[in-house]
Amino acid sequence: MNVIESAGLGKRYHSTWALRECSVAIPAGHVAALVGPNGAGKTTLLNLAAGLTAPSAGGVTVLGGRPAGSPAALDGIAFVAQDMPMYKNLSARDMLHLTRNLNRRFDQRYAETRLGELGIPLKRKAGKLSGGQQAQLALTLALARRPRLLVLDEPMAMLDPIARHDFMASVMTAMVADGVSVVLSSHVLAELERVADYLILMSRGRVQLAGDVDDLLASHRMLTGPAAEADRYAQRLSVVHARGGETQAHLLVRTTTADGTVAPGWEAHPVGLEELALAYLREPAAAALPGPERRRNTSRTEVSR
Amino acid sequence: MTALSVPARPEDTSLRPVPWRRMGWVTWRQHRSTLAWVVVFLGALAVGLLLTGHQLHQAYVTAVAACRPPANSVTCPNATIAFDGTNGFLANGGILQATPAAIGAFAGAPLLARELETGTFRYAWTQGFGPWRWALAKLVPLAVLLATAAGVFSLVLNWYYQPYFVAANQNLGLEELTPFYPALFGLRGIGFAAWTLVAFAIGALAGMLIRRVVPAIAATIFAYAALAFAAGGWLRPHYLSPAVTTSLNIPGSAWVQSQWWTKNGTFAFSGWPPESLFAQYCPKGPPGPAGPNGKPKAVSLAECLTPHGYTQWTSYQPASRFWPFQWIEGGWLLVLSALLIAVTVWLVRRRAT
Amino acid sequence: MTIDKGISEEPRRPAGASPIEFRLDPASGVPTYLQLVHQVEHALRLGYLKPGDQLPKVRDVVAALAINPNTVLKAYKDLETKGLAAGRPGQGTFVQAALSQVALPELAGLRKGLLGWLTDAGAAGLDEDGVVALFTSVLRDFYKGRGGSAGRGVASGGTEGVA
Repeated sequence: MNVIESAGLGKRYHSTWALRECSVAIPAGHVAALVGPNGAGKTTLLNLAAGLTAPSAGGVTVLGGRPAGSPAALDGIAFVAQDMPMYKNLSARDMLHLTRNLNRRFDQRYAETRLGELGIPLKRKAGKLSGGQQAQLALTLALARRPRLLVLDEPMAMLDPIARHDFMASVMTAMVADGVSVVLSSHVLAELERVADYLILMSRGRVQLAGDVDDLLASHRMLTGPAAEADRYAQRLSVVHARGGETQAHLLVRTTTADGTVAPGWEAHPVGLEELALAYLREPAAAALPGPERRRNTSRTEVSR
Repeated sequence: MTALSVPARPEDTSLRPVPWRRMGWVTWRQHRSTLAWVVVFLGALAVGLLLTGHQLHQAYVTAVAACRPPANSVTCPNATIAFDGTNGFLANGGILQATPAAIGAFAGAPLLARELETGTFRYAWTQGFGPWRWALAKLVPLAVLLATAAGVFSLVLNWYYQPYFVAANQNLGLEELTPFYPALFGLRGIGFAAWTLVAFAIGALAGMLIRRVVPAIAATIFAYAALAFAAGGWLRPHYLSPAVTTSLNIPGSAWVQSQWWTKNGTFAFSGWPPESLFAQYCPKGPPGPAGPNGKPKAVSLAECLTPHGYTQWTSYQPASRFWPFQWIEGGWLLVLSALLIAVTVWLVRRRAT
Repeated sequence: MTIDKGISEEPRRPAGASPIEFRLDPASGVPTYLQLVHQVEHALRLGYLKPGDQLPKVRDVVAALAINPNTVLKAYKDLETKGLAAGRPGQGTFVQAALSQVALPELAGLRKGLLGWLTDAGAAGLDEDGVVALFTSVLRDFYKGRGGSAGRGVASGGTEGVA
């Protein structure tokens, strides 16, 4: 099952396209990270998937084909927007009561236990809690709904390192305990490397790269060799990004074969996630997307529900 | 690579929508302070009106007693003046005219505008209840509650203004007030409740369109004022075709809409006669003191002109049509409010799906 | 491989459920799952873990380190492939076998051979970093050819290597 699937999705605000031709298929059971600079369209994509806005082009379905924003979709997705919106003048207990009334499923006991463990007083107004506590409260409200998919928009922007760690630990534990899939966005890749196993790289409203992290890293290689031969060598390869000095060149190439044969005088190194992402972000024209059809087939065999 | 195999979750295939009554607590908890201040505000106004109204009614009773024919005691003119002068600013509707606008603007506009401005709509509209049902479940109960509160308050309003509209006013030598007096029509009968309702509906829509609280409040007040002036000036005179009469005894309670003169069946002039005609037939000087409309009392002009073959025609709305007009105005205000709320909910739905 | 079910369990199990706890070195350049695999192998070699001991529950690892549970699963699957661990449905993952021990005389012989090679390398002009770079590259190629555990993961400066 794909938790988010879009075909040619686009969103326009006045005359600017915030998102264009976005076709992704995010499989369930993963932590999918949307990565890109500010203005790349991450929030737009998440808002469309959550049903907060309507598309200007194309469409998006969630949780195996439910239209985004439909009652079935709203039921299964818990969305935590940037800045963790909640009613600042209501107490944590009131927010629990509110969320319970607005949803079909709500695990009150889990929510209260969690808040107790985290040391968040139920009587205090939400606006008086610290940033980390507000984030944990928003996450508790989301998880207590027992969603299939948890969508987090830049969840760690306002958090200090300890709060960030606690927050992600809670999310990952929920994945284990309840089989929640996670889609989150960030413009800082480093903090996601431990956590993400599916990557969507976005830039200027378009998706540049999408796929399983292991597959992506296995299908890219950094070739280092003489700068003089770089251009000639690059003709035969699918080069994503080239850099280097006068004598030595580095080529980030995309390989479709698993073989490691490399021209003499050249060395092949594996790439890390951050290096890969930066290379693509520096080359706006580069894109490597698995077609949605292929993705759907692979994911069906992988994930057993 | 492997992905988590998830435990089988009991699938709730019925997908019944979340029951409407659950929003009852939500609406109450989020807007109880709004309802509270409206009740307190109207309550304070009511207390003020009860106190000043008591004064007014006392003065009225005193004046009537003093002027009962054929006594015409010495105190009659003084008592009459005292009655007429009590609470002068309220006699014209005063701040009460602004009350429905205030309630609508401050209760209706922030409803959606604050959610949009602070971003909490990103929480509210992604819950299982669904955005447009959420909006409807807030707007309708609040509209009903506010209209009811306004309706209860207008009982006090109606009681307050009663002395101005009683026939016994004649004895006091005061000009009788038409029930259609523009400044007071919207405050009496069911007018106050209906105008509060439409103000709220305007506020809700303004909040959804403008998405910022303070500009939405301002826009609501302007839109309401425009609607109130348009209703009073252009719509209200046409609710029912005016009655037409040639009688010269138009009661003061009638709402005169226009007057014209004919001679021998053909139209002569409307309103004030031309200079030449006036000089010819009314040489003794201008007719008597001005009547309630600011125009010279028809009776006096008739004295000059009728002997010479002129007939005066008056189109007016008789006082007996007060309640039919109230129902008509209340009716279209109700329809308009429902329409505005429906549009607001539709906008929420369109944005969301 | 089983996953713990139910959100509403009691909060924290006592750490005694598994003898070891994992740690993470985010800056080492070694992929997370490999770090876990290496820590299990290291613990086995040093005797912290014996056959029959339970490996940390996925849920506990994830709660402590804030990493993706699929990573833990991948590490445990890797250990299963190597025959070092086995999952018991409903209970967790348990150590199955000890690492093959190399006999002492053989170890001594290997050590001597290595010293000889290092002498040759020094004579050829390789310094310590050069030795490490060359060795790592050959090591990787060797095990890749064999389809072994080093895979793509060992980047520069891997000091784990052979115990």
